[in-house]
Amino acid sequence: MAQKGDLLLQMKGVQKRFGGAIALRGTDLSIRAGEIHALLGENGAGKSTMLKILAGVHVNDGGTISLGDKPFITGSPEAAIAQGIAVIYQEPSLFLDLTLAENVFIGRQPMKGVAIDWAQAQVEAARLFAELGVPLDPKRQARGLSIADQQVVEIAKALSMNANIILMDEPTAALSASEVERLMTVMKSLKAANKAVIFVSHRLDEVFVISDYITVMRDGATVSENPVTGTDLQKVIKEMVGRELTELFPKTENKIGGVALEIKDLTNPAYFRNISFTVRHGEIVALAGLVGSGRSEVARAIFGIDKYTTGSVKVNGKDLAKGSPVAAMAEKIALVPEDRRQQGLFMIAGVNRNISMESFDRIKGKIFLNFKKERALTEIWREKLSIKYESQSNPVESLSGGNQQKTVLAKWLATDPDILIVDEPTRGIDVGTKAEVHKLINAAAGEGKAVLMISSELPEVLGMADRIIVMREGHKVAELSRSEATQEKVIAAATTGSKGA
Amino acid sequence: MNFLSRFKPSSREGSLGLILIVTIGITGIINPRFLTGDGTRDLFTSTAVVALLAIGMAPIIIMRHIDLSVASTVGLTAWFIADLCAKNPEFTWVQCFIIGPIIGMVVGVLNGLLVAGLRLPSLVVTLGTLYIVRGAVYVISNSVDYNAQEMPPSLLSLGQKVYFGVMPFTFLLVIFAMLVTAWFMKYRKAGRDCYAIGSNPHAADLVGIKVFRRTFLAFVFSGAMSGLAGVFYLMRFAQVDSTAFYGQELAVVAAAVIGGVTIAGGSGTTVGATIGALLVQTIQGGLAAIGVDAFWKSAINGLLLIVAIYADRTLARKSENALLAQRIKERA
Ligand SMILES: Nc1ncnc2c1ncn2[C@@H]1O[C@H](COP(=O)(O)OP(=O)(O)OP(=O)(O)O)[C@@H](O)[C@H]1O
Ligand SMILES: [Mg+2]
Repeated sequence: MAQKGDLLLQMKGVQKRFGGAIALRGTDLSIRAGEIHALLGENGAGKSTMLKILAGVHVNDGGTISLGDKPFITGSPEAAIAQGIAVIYQEPSLFLDLTLAENVFIGRQPMKGVAIDWAQAQVEAARLFAELGVPLDPKRQARGLSIADQQVVEIAKALSMNANIILMDEPTAALSASEVERLMTVMKSLKAANKAVIFVSHRLDEVFVISDYITVMRDGATVSENPVTGTDLQKVIKEMVGRELTELFPKTENKIGGVALEIKDLTNPAYFRNISFTVRHGEIVALAGLVGSGRSEVARAIFGIDKYTTGSVKVNGKDLAKGSPVAAMAEKIALVPEDRRQQGLFMIAGVNRNISMESFDRIKGKIFLNFKKERALTEIWREKLSIKYESQSNPVESLSGGNQQKTVLAKWLATDPDILIVDEPTRGIDVGTKAEVHKLINAAAGEGKAVLMISSELPEVLGMADRIIVMREGHKVAELSRSEATQEKVIAAATTGSKGA
Repeated sequence: MNFLSRFKPSSREGSLGLILIVTIGITGIINPRFLTGDGTRDLFTSTAVVALLAIGMAPIIIMRHIDLSVASTVGLTAWFIADLCAKNPEFTWVQCFIIGPIIGMVVGVLNGLLVAGLRLPSLVVTLGTLYIVRGAVYVISNSVDYNAQEMPPSLLSLGQKVYFGVMPFTFLLVIFAMLVTAWFMKYRKAGRDCYAIGSNPHAADLVGIKVFRRTFLAFVFSGAMSGLAGVFYLMRFAQVDSTAFYGQELAVVAAAVIGGVTIAGGSGTTVGATIGALLVQTIQGGLAAIGVDAFWKSAINGLLLIVAIYADRTLARKSENALLAQRIKERA
């Protein structure tokens, strides 16, 4: 059994290239037992690549990795598991056709004689879910689970491996405050058991709450490695982005015009009931609440991806046909979806093709696509959102997680909508670009556009919104103006608000 | 009994079984002979080859792959064995049962190496081996046919053997293969890996599933089953030429898909595939009984396939709706 502070794993001068692209140019990382180690850096800095080398998915081209006093065996996920490493990947990696119990134990199912002991697997999985405070049914199929619940299954899987080193790549990106807290409790208990946790996050506030050590990466190299007491937020941000960030939420006062979007008594009994609100031109309205409170479903219903049973959606006073994204797009509504990998991108198509996909009018020539215009459009958005890629035609698949997020954002912002609905606009996006995204959203409102923003990040909600609507379990429980809203009020409404409001 | 109860069909196989019984009933009304012992025996005899192939193909489809070379492999093995038996009169059924699967496995190894090793799309690879193997049969056979007198009497009599008046020896083996693979797919890690690979190939790599080994072995298994099916073919028809079982690969895919093995991967069982094969054969028998000609029979087969895929979608939607209803209750 490792003692607290023992050096478990050490990476020195690790290098990795993908074709011509250099992902890591010499990174160092030391992992000690009983420690929570945060790995920070801009989108595309190489964090996920580091973790994937330890997970056995990639092989490093140079540098050394040692596990205790032995060299670490790379290149196979099985070997990594055997060496005591468990991973929660940034991209969802559940098997949707299989049950939750099976997802937890895939490849390591408990056996009774020559046969898998399914009863045992279910009992064990149920125990892990209970430990995580989410009583999911282990016999249920993974298909249809919310992103937050999928994350719970991933965490249970990692715990069930009984590993010494647990790697978590943005485990909190899809979670809201109370779920993050639960995850932190789990991380603390792992720490107490003298295991090492490495975690990646772009939510710097939680990083400073939970971690013992902070390593900052920039352009594929380690910039600094400090105990949390030896650094601070400003310093970390500067190391990450190479400059000071003065204002995170540059709120501008915009002229608020007439009603652009009017939602009345919108109901889909499975997800939300009697939701009414308006969004005016030039206004930013935030939908706050816990993950699973029905916010995303309301947005999807407005845009026409899902149906609703009763209620109405009016755009500039006119009824909007229900269940038709085409009708919504004709009214110049855009929706940046929550689950971008599945709903927003064509993974094997190029960055340029993805960004221009919904802006066909703007890039078409007389007969064919005008590729010059497509290139120019992509370039504009690369600059605005600092999207990092080798070449415009690189498949989106090869971009880092955060850069994929930026690509979806660019695709919808490029349509120049009148009504912009954004679901978690800055999920997985680094701190430098976050400010850029906020500026873009503000600028859109400044041009008289109506913005409906869903966000689980309270500072973002409080910093950006003119009005905040809080949902709980499918009901609207509060509507707060910018001046009324405080962190406490929003949290209170989201967790205990009365459904009559 | 305990052993059997493990195979208690999940709802999907259960409802398929019910559809099968209803179909047999309807066919029986059209042609009462269908419901007699002889009718049942004929159904089993004529289904054995396709059912065995569907069992072999199920794990491959579950892994989101396909094997189109099975019918050609049946032709190759059947002709090869007949040829060997003609040249070696001392051969009995034992040699046939050993050589058949071995020949099939050679094709399976080739498919497996190309699909799993080079990561080529199985649709293209096995379409290629479909033509290569069939071509090989044409070349090797040199237009030589074989009839009952050149085949081992022990093999042919085994082909005629019937238990309890209804159960032919070949179909008994089919049931055995079905149960063993169903057990394997449900209770062995290797079997579960197949479902995982078909469900999310990308994630299968990440969690360290041996994707190469599983994919390769699935093709070798399908090859072995195709070889055995070649022996079954000889036992049933007692004659073979270079066109034996020509073009039947899609009937096998249809049987598996109708039996609930989803073409998109990740779900299905060999029990379902076997019921699917029986269902296709029953409908064919029923159509023949009312005098529908061969062209319409294959058109109706195609229709059946489309209906099966539609039913699959409908069932998926139904389970989604059930989930929704549960949510509505929770939310109320
Ligand atoms: N499979 C791949 N093929 C080609 N390039 C890749 C591949 N995986 C990563 N890269 C490149 O390597 C660099 C580092 O990516 P990585 O995913 O490690 O970033 P990250 O730090 O995790 O970023 P994020 O915060 O956005 O998740 C990126 O420029 C990315 O485009
Ligand atoms: Mg990443």
